[in-house]
Amino acid sequence: MNRDWPDVLGGLALAGIGGLALGWALVHYDLGTLRQMGPGFFPAVLGALLIGLGLIVALPALARSGDTPRFELGSAAAVLAAILIFGFGLRLLGLAGATAASVLVASLAAPHGGWTWRILLALTVTALTVVVFSYGLRMTLPLWPRLP
Amino acid sequence: MTTWEGLLYGIGFALQPEVLVYCLLGVVLGTFVGVLPGIGAMAAISLLLPVTYYITPEAALIMLAGVYYGAQYGGAVASILMRLPGTPQSAVTTLDGYPMAQQGRAGVALFAAMASSFAGSVIGIVVLVVLAGWLSRAAVAFGAADYAAMMILGLVAASTIGTARPAKGFAMVVLGLLLGCVGTDVNSGVQRFTFGQTELLDGINLVALAMGLFGVAEVIANVRDPERQSLSERIGLRRLMPTRDDLRRMGWPTLRGSALGAFFGALPGTGSTLSSFLSYAMERRVARQPERFGNGAIEGIAGPEAANNSASITAFVPTLTLGIPGDPIMALMLGALVIHGIQPGPLMLEARPEMFWGLVASFGIGNLILLVLNLPLIGIWVAMLRIPFRWLYPAILVFLCLGVYSVRGLSYDIAAVALIGLAGYLLALARFSPALLLLGFVLGPLIETNLRRALLISRGDPMVFLERPIAAGFVLATAALLLLSLWQAWHRRASRRG
Repeated sequence: MNRDWPDVLGGLALAGIGGLALGWALVHYDLGTLRQMGPGFFPAVLGALLIGLGLIVALPALARSGDTPRFELGSAAAVLAAILIFGFGLRLLGLAGATAASVLVASLAAPHGGWTWRILLALTVTALTVVVFSYGLRMTLPLWPRLP
Repeated sequence: MTTWEGLLYGIGFALQPEVLVYCLLGVVLGTFVGVLPGIGAMAAISLLLPVTYYITPEAALIMLAGVYYGAQYGGAVASILMRLPGTPQSAVTTLDGYPMAQQGRAGVALFAAMASSFAGSVIGIVVLVVLAGWLSRAAVAFGAADYAAMMILGLVAASTIGTARPAKGFAMVVLGLLLGCVGTDVNSGVQRFTFGQTELLDGINLVALAMGLFGVAEVIANVRDPERQSLSERIGLRRLMPTRDDLRRMGWPTLRGSALGAFFGALPGTGSTLSSFLSYAMERRVARQPERFGNGAIEGIAGPEAANNSASITAFVPTLTLGIPGDPIMALMLGALVIHGIQPGPLMLEARPEMFWGLVASFGIGNLILLVLNLPLIGIWVAMLRIPFRWLYPAILVFLCLGVYSVRGLSYDIAAVALIGLAGYLLALARFSPALLLLGFVLGPLIETNLRRALLISRGDPMVFLERPIAAGFVLATAALLLLSLWQAWHRRASRRG
């Protein structure tokens, strides 16, 4: 079936998040009264609203046809991996090492370009980053990989 | 301080060398990201947010504002030359700008866009000065109920006006409000939705959220976008000067667009994108030969470009005088001020005149820089359009990570950016607006605090929202908007069946 899947799934996911928020707020936080609202009041109301809105988005979409957009798995994986490598590698590899590794991984998703281009790009970006952040903005970060 | 004293003071402030440098930096960077499709003002401002830690709040605001209105100028370049809107606000400009470029009149089209943008900004500045002075006096009478009602109106307006599916917009706003609840509750000290993670005690990091939703999501979506790689060769840039006939055609549309933009920019929830679309529709309606539109009518560039620039200036009215951001970009600006411990409000004009008047003066100076710089520099912007995206995005990612890291020095925040980025990409794929989510996120804590305060004062009586005239006005307007969008939904369904 060629349904409007983005709206169906998106709406259901939102309704699910709303349900979780509502449940969590009801169980863990004090609702209070209208005069003295507790910490749970606002989130509970929002959770309930989100359930309703999610269903309003999802249910009519079940009966509607639409095209499903392409999820660029390769691009997403390379970009997210590059961010995570940078984040967790910063302490271990130093600014220069983490930048180079992250650029190499990110560039895997690019449409053209071989390894020469990737290495050239990694060197350029690393030099730029070190100059701007380490020397320019004087961020206190280890520059080079830590030796064991 | 009278208006003239304020203006003179502001010009003196904005002309200080270090302030001027940040203004110049802002507008050039803004034009750059505006020219490049795929990276918008939103992403650029979130990238710059951490940099603002290192400079004074006034310079920070001036620079970020420069990025915002600079992007409006740059957006027109990509729209006219490539039929790719560099920014959402300039999408309308493709309709007549690209046909003009194909007819070899790209230079004239660019001139029209720049000149009407400048005129729109000047009119926007005048309206900003008048409205801000008036509103900041009136806003002293605003109570908690009025603030809460006004912000709710802003959110409802942002999600219903000019969107195809209001329910999707609402859902994003509510999700943003919910995300805004994460962290320690100010009133009770209870930790909400932190799940034992100390990194979340202060709430979700605004910089991480903005960069994930805009920076990362936009990069993922554009890495393999084939449209990005090419630029039409047939562009006539030789002749920049419009003919006398062109100038005559530009006059009234520019004025009408500026007025329209100034009005909608100042309203919370409606912004520059809406006003440029409305201006185009209006010009087409009043034109003697509407069939010229879409085939290179210069009015179709002048009106919308004036409108979006005018709106981007008057959008600062509610942000600076009430402390309420009317659109997502203003929400980021407010975030930048709050980072510096400044909460804008009705008293800011008196308490921090250098902030308000310096910003106003910088608008004038920045727009003048844009007008003077951009026409000679068009060749450079065209060259930039030829840079393949694959040369840029790895560097954008690294800068983005370092920006987030610099806020608190936590790798946790970088990991959060990856997760938020994935969510943002999925939202964009399914056409849910991440901008509305961000607006809800920033307004959430403000709405909750004011709502709780209003009901505490009224001893739990919700009628307070109808008894106070200001709040009642906002509540009525909100109800009218909701009814209108319900009626439109019903009408659409009926017309589809019939």
